Amino acid sequence: MPLGPLSPPPTGSEAKASRPDGSGTGALIATGAGVAGLGILAATGLARLEPTLLVAACVAGIGLWAAWRSRPDDRSAPDSRAAPPSQPGEARRSAFEDALETLPDPLLIISADEPDDLVGKRLTFANAAARTLLRIPREGALLLSAIRRPEVLEAVDESLFGGVNASVSFETGGAQDRFWRVWTAPLLQREPRRFCVLVMRDETDVRRNERMRADFLANASHELRTPLASLSGFIETLRGHAREDEKARDRFLGIMGVQAERMARLVDDLMSLSRIELNEHIRPDGRCDLGAAASDVADALALIAAERRVAVNLDLPPRGEALVVGDRDQILQVIQNLVDNALKYSPTGGAVRVSVATGQSLAAATASDPASPRLTGPDGGRLSLLTPDRADDTLFSVIRVTDDGPGMQRQHLPRLAERFYRVEGQKSGERSGTGLGLAIVKHIINRHRGGLWVESAPQCGALFVAYFPQAPAEAATSPDPSSIRVEADGAAEGGVADPMPVALVRQGRA
Amino acid sequence: MSEHTLKFFGDELTQLKAEVTRMGGLVESQVEDSIECVVRRDVELAQAIIGRDAKIDELQRDIERKAIRMIALRQPVAQDLRRTVAALKMAWNLERTGDQAKNIAKRALVLAEAEPLTPLTRAVERMGRLVVAHLKEALDAYTSAEIERGLAVWRADEDVDEHYNALFRELLTYMMSDPRTISSCAHLLFIGKNLERIGDHATNIAEILHYEITGEEVDGQRPRRHGTDGEHPTGDDQ
Repeated sequence: MPLGPLSPPPTGSEAKASRPDGSGTGALIATGAGVAGLGILAATGLARLEPTLLVAACVAGIGLWAAWRSRPDDRSAPDSRAAPPSQPGEARRSAFEDALETLPDPLLIISADEPDDLVGKRLTFANAAARTLLRIPREGALLLSAIRRPEVLEAVDESLFGGVNASVSFETGGAQDRFWRVWTAPLLQREPRRFCVLVMRDETDVRRNERMRADFLANASHELRTPLASLSGFIETLRGHAREDEKARDRFLGIMGVQAERMARLVDDLMSLSRIELNEHIRPDGRCDLGAAASDVADALALIAAERRVAVNLDLPPRGEALVVGDRDQILQVIQNLVDNALKYSPTGGAVRVSVATGQSLAAATASDPASPRLTGPDGGRLSLLTPDRADDTLFSVIRVTDDGPGMQRQHLPRLAERFYRVEGQKSGERSGTGLGLAIVKHIINRHRGGLWVESAPQCGALFVAYFPQAPAEAATSPDPSSIRVEADGAAEGGVADPMPVALVRQGRA
Repeated sequence: MSEHTLKFFGDELTQLKAEVTRMGGLVESQVEDSIECVVRRDVELAQAIIGRDAKIDELQRDIERKAIRMIALRQPVAQDLRRTVAALKMAWNLERTGDQAKNIAKRALVLAEAEPLTPLTRAVERMGRLVVAHLKEALDAYTSAEIERGLAVWRADEDVDEHYNALFRELLTYMMSDPRTISSCAHLLFIGKNLERIGDHATNIAEILHYEITGEEVDGQRPRRHGTDGEHPTGDDQ
């Protein structure tokens, strides 16, 4: 591993010296250490770096930066003897600042005067990641405006005034739980000002994996027990007195087949849920047409709909209009689960209505008709199962799935997206679900930074609404030729042969 | 001369707001910990929460003293007065929130002695997470003075009420089917009530922020709908 300093950057014209008073001796030493730190950074790659090493590297780099930075302002300090201008030092400094700025982990430099002075503790520097995460309005903002968690403030104090390194971890609530680890370390002290650095690392994935293993075991074993018990019961019977009874054997094997299928479906759902959860914090980067996806799902479910004699009415915008940022397979799964649920609970001869709207603000996407019988009916109500973190001007594409099934009482709504939760006393037909459908829906939508709400009342059916952030406008007007043109062509040809079976009624937008 | 005074007063106001923010952080983590100690049946954590409540009370008295002193000495008007009064109101609200968290911790101690009621604790946890998220949003809004963010919390309080009503019914069903759980369920019910109150405090914070910036009350009635057949009070005093 190359630990030596990197070769100094060229002293060409790109190193613009706005404040050419260079670095002192201490700063030069720090430069060496910092450069060595950067060498380590480059050699090991940021992601696998030991956190302590990272902090050490940052401390060295920031030491130089802080020393340089405070020098010109600190005119009253007796020891601020100006060194001769040095171009390489300049270039290196800006490289350090850039390196800190682009660091994927949030990093803050905090300055303070006295332990009890809350207003004195300010952010001297916050890199891009920190500014985004903590919504820091400007440089020089109060530390308290960015962080108010007591244990972190204590760690900062320890580093500032105790001169020691400290580390704490904490969890933040909100739509997406996150688990953070924070390291603080003291920097060069320039009396009376004190400095310390704070680095945050997102450890959500590590924690989530641990938790998921435990959850998965508990849930899966519980849910698998029932079919398994029935399977082993029948095996016993087939080994015992039913051994020679051909008729009973056939019947038992049939039941066993159904149970095995149920177990397989459960395992499939559990696996897909855990896969989705693992990626929940990674934003999808593909694009998907919500309208086209809805029509594909309707095609796929046409057979089941025909079997149950339920009509599926579609109200979709023209192809290519409801483009959202998202993973097509996952969005298909969301729509599939919602429509499948609606079909399951619809009475024979009923209708399921699927509509897609586009370009809606958050308020429009979450608005419901106050005159709806589901809201005015007894025991009816609506509830948001998932609300995205505050989105300023984001526009959403919305899919609404309505059924005219038996509906639910309000009290069930908060628990709908819970794993294995089933509304008591409701029969979902012979194709009983796994109890994971809506949990999967919720996690996928959460990954897409979208939202989900439900409205229902007994005897008035249910309405499920999912909304996804729209793909940025420029992407819609100048689409990536490889991924979008196919759909656009399809629309131009008038949607080729309409694959809708007779049972499905397509309602175009006039 | 006057400029100097004004600047000095501005510093004092910033200091006051910083103290309120710090108190907010403390209260926020008290609430989070209190839910944690119910869920994990963590007796030590519960005792720590109860111990830390004194610190919150002390901060509240401190802020109150400073705010009253500022009003008396500087006689602020318009927005300065509103900011000072808002700090006072915030301190009261946060202190009450802290008390609710302490209350939850006390009940967690009792619950830890009984048999665990896992499905119900999960319902409390779910409600708790929602309330914590609201409190965090409200405090973030206060710190960064973003009215819209605050109002979003204010409007979303309905969700908390809905969770509370669901929890209420669930607990009733449980108690009816197995009288041995009545004692634990009653404590969980009060915890639910405490959480619901914390949610109300979060909306109060949003209202205070609105008042501080605009000088007006929030327009309109908060969407409210109570499903427990009117048997739970809507009043703001408790």
